[in-house]
Amino acid sequence: MAKVGVYVCHCGSNIAGVIDVEAVRASAETLPDVAVARKDLFMCSDSGQEMIKQDIRDGLVDKVVVAACTPRTHEPIFRGALQAGGLNKYLFEMANIRDQDSWVHAQDPEGATQKAKMLVASAVGKAARLHPLEDKYVDVTKAALVIGGGVAGIFSALELAKMGFKTYLVEKEPSIGGVMAMLDKTFPTNDCSACILTPVMVEAGNHPNIELLTYSEVEDVEGYIGNFNVKVRRKQAYVDWTKCTGCGACAEKCPSKTPDEFNMGLSNRKAAYIHFPQAVPKKAVVDMAHCKSCGGRELGTEPKISEKTGKPILAPCEKACPADAIDRSLKWDPAGVIKEIKVGTIVVATGFQVMDKGWFKEMAPDNKNVITALQMERLISATGPTGGKLLRPSDNQKPHTLTFVSCVGSRDEKHHTYCSRVCCMYMIKQARLIKEKYPDLNIYMHFIDVRSPGKDYDEYYTGARRMGINILRGKVGGLEVLPGDNLRVLAYDLDAGAPVEYESDLVVLATAMELPPTAKKLAQTLGLQFCGSNFFKELHPKLGPVETATEGIFLAGCCQGPKDIPDTVSQAKGAAAAAAVPLCQGRVKIEPIISEVQTEKCSGCGICVPLCPYDAISLKPYAEKPRAIIDITQCKGCGVCTAACPSAAIVLHGYEEDQIFAQIAALTA
Amino acid sequence: MPAIVLDSEKIKDSVKRIMEYGGTGVLKCVQCGACSAVCPGVKAGFPVLCRLLIKKLLEGQFEELVEETSTWGCQACNRCTEVCPQGVRPQEVVFAYRRYQASELAFSSSATTSQMNLFATGHAVFTEAGPLREKVGLPAKAPTSAYDDKAQKEIQTLLTESPMGELGLF
Repeated sequence: MAKVGVYVCHCGSNIAGVIDVEAVRASAETLPDVAVARKDLFMCSDSGQEMIKQDIRDGLVDKVVVAACTPRTHEPIFRGALQAGGLNKYLFEMANIRDQDSWVHAQDPEGATQKAKMLVASAVGKAARLHPLEDKYVDVTKAALVIGGGVAGIFSALELAKMGFKTYLVEKEPSIGGVMAMLDKTFPTNDCSACILTPVMVEAGNHPNIELLTYSEVEDVEGYIGNFNVKVRRKQAYVDWTKCTGCGACAEKCPSKTPDEFNMGLSNRKAAYIHFPQAVPKKAVVDMAHCKSCGGRELGTEPKISEKTGKPILAPCEKACPADAIDRSLKWDPAGVIKEIKVGTIVVATGFQVMDKGWFKEMAPDNKNVITALQMERLISATGPTGGKLLRPSDNQKPHTLTFVSCVGSRDEKHHTYCSRVCCMYMIKQARLIKEKYPDLNIYMHFIDVRSPGKDYDEYYTGARRMGINILRGKVGGLEVLPGDNLRVLAYDLDAGAPVEYESDLVVLATAMELPPTAKKLAQTLGLQFCGSNFFKELHPKLGPVETATEGIFLAGCCQGPKDIPDTVSQAKGAAAAAAVPLCQGRVKIEPIISEVQTEKCSGCGICVPLCPYDAISLKPYAEKPRAIIDITQCKGCGVCTAACPSAAIVLHGYEEDQIFAQIAALTA
Repeated sequence: MPAIVLDSEKIKDSVKRIMEYGGTGVLKCVQCGACSAVCPGVKAGFPVLCRLLIKKLLEGQFEELVEETSTWGCQACNRCTEVCPQGVRPQEVVFAYRRYQASELAFSSSATTSQMNLFATGHAVFTEAGPLREKVGLPAKAPTSAYDDKAQKEIQTLLTESPMGELGLF
């Protein structure tokens, strides 16, 4: 007969404040199979664990039940105590009498105590029937994948590379750099964004351990922590990057124009283009969606021969390229090329997008002089459409009155209820930079309230007031278009308690940060979850900020939630450290609480195969007949196959039939 | 201006009463002021509408505001509701407070006239437009309660039976 030890925890007043712990202990003592029943103020304390270890060493118990909090946080501690006492750590069962009892039934102490007794009886029923299990290990592929080449992805990749791991950095645009590369300067130091980012981009581009996969997207991910098989699709650039020197001659000669994404549509780029001047890698691509196939140079066809000169008629881009990197006679595959890579861990750093102004009908979105803050960044950037001169889009004239509107789409239940966290600060930054350059310009900034928590941030904000920038508390209600493409700002001064109206000739909207729609596909591919704000969900909001529910996949940067550059870099380095742990260990543990087929009972019907959500089951010949077999690295122990098997041939270790029936019997006694 | 004495019982009572009168969204208000930025009433010189009315109610000033005339400046355009980022529905709060004011017979004469018009013709604002209508080829009498004794009777019965009947206006 089993000798079950029951240990009931007070958890300070968390449990004991509601539940009569002594009554639960006394009730446990009367249960069959129970050898000892004890209680302690904190079972997870050293003295609590010592109590368990001593009982094991004294030969009093050979199975352990702890009635306390949640196994999610505390199961590893108690399993460790069993192991230290000399018992197999899987001979342990936890009864959650805190989260699922005292916390939810605080109004009914008697009922809660009764429920605790039943939960303990159920755990004892199971514990008495537990078998020892052994951990298994699999080797790890010592390489990492970072998805997204913005500042978060770049730093994660660099950290991993510096630790000595081969790191693939996948970026969907032709160059790494992300949104930070588009910014003019950065708060609160006014560092030039490109000046501080470019050296890091170059370092990532040159690092021997980093393989840049730009103009590429992750197509498919299979496998598990330690052994992911990833398919990356490299989009067709129609330029041979092994030859391209990034001189830009093709872009100069290309006659086809389309709005430039890097300048947020404020200027045009060519169909053949280089992402931006400091691009890494600095390589050209031909965007076929906008290519006009000049001179009848359809892809994959030989050029016509000129009757006059007898020479082939080439497209301007082909002709211009001094490196012969563009050859339109080649049959380029428009689907691009699939590259298969194997990695041990993955860092997701896919970033954010800013909301389009079109969502905000009250803010005159069709007016050219109403721009988003990211457009403003381009407008004041030296590499932007105006070469850094502040000119309003409608007539390229210098504005006299500039308005900043905060919380456009953030803190708004019609769009996003969260605060985008960086808008207050970047608006103050833009206002300061502009005021320094154009002291005569009137600047009005409208905030619900100014949020400037951060090192040197509030000083930066109060500095803006001292520079003569007008700060008003109160959300802007709307904009009205006036003749001459000026705008009437309908605002309110909370402090004066009065409405405010004035004419402005350029209005900046701080539109909310959000996940781009493409994030959904990536989430499906990687098994990521979304949080209430529709960003990728971390494992724990406080204690697992870079981990996800999928082991081996980590988060960095704004794909996890809005954050500024310092926070992004911190998280990126943290994610890299976390992603390096399994790579350093060289092997990952596979918990034995997974399913196993008893081959001699299996009829080979195959019902379990399509039911498995993890594709872990396949049919393999056994004594010349097909029999189900479960891949232990894929199985997550969900139990679907076990329940479905008509021959009862599949055992879910740790949740065996007699164990579950004993639990049900105890709960219904 | 005398200091507002913050009193938790008064605040609770104020919130409870404005919600009972129909201003159910007051606790959602974050005092951003977008409603007051677009309110034509505030612009026309009725400051205690939308944001400021809600603020005062949230500070427990329910009874102190009874003689406030700003509330009657609301033109029911509902722009406040459109721009509110928190779903407060400020116009409902204004109307709720008006209900309280009406129950205390504390409303402006302009409001009384329109109520009496409503009782008499079925329109709060009604202008005789016979000649104008004939000029554009319409019958002089519009098909409304203004020219319909039966409809007027029904409206008067409804009004008399409603809480408004208790005010003794009609």
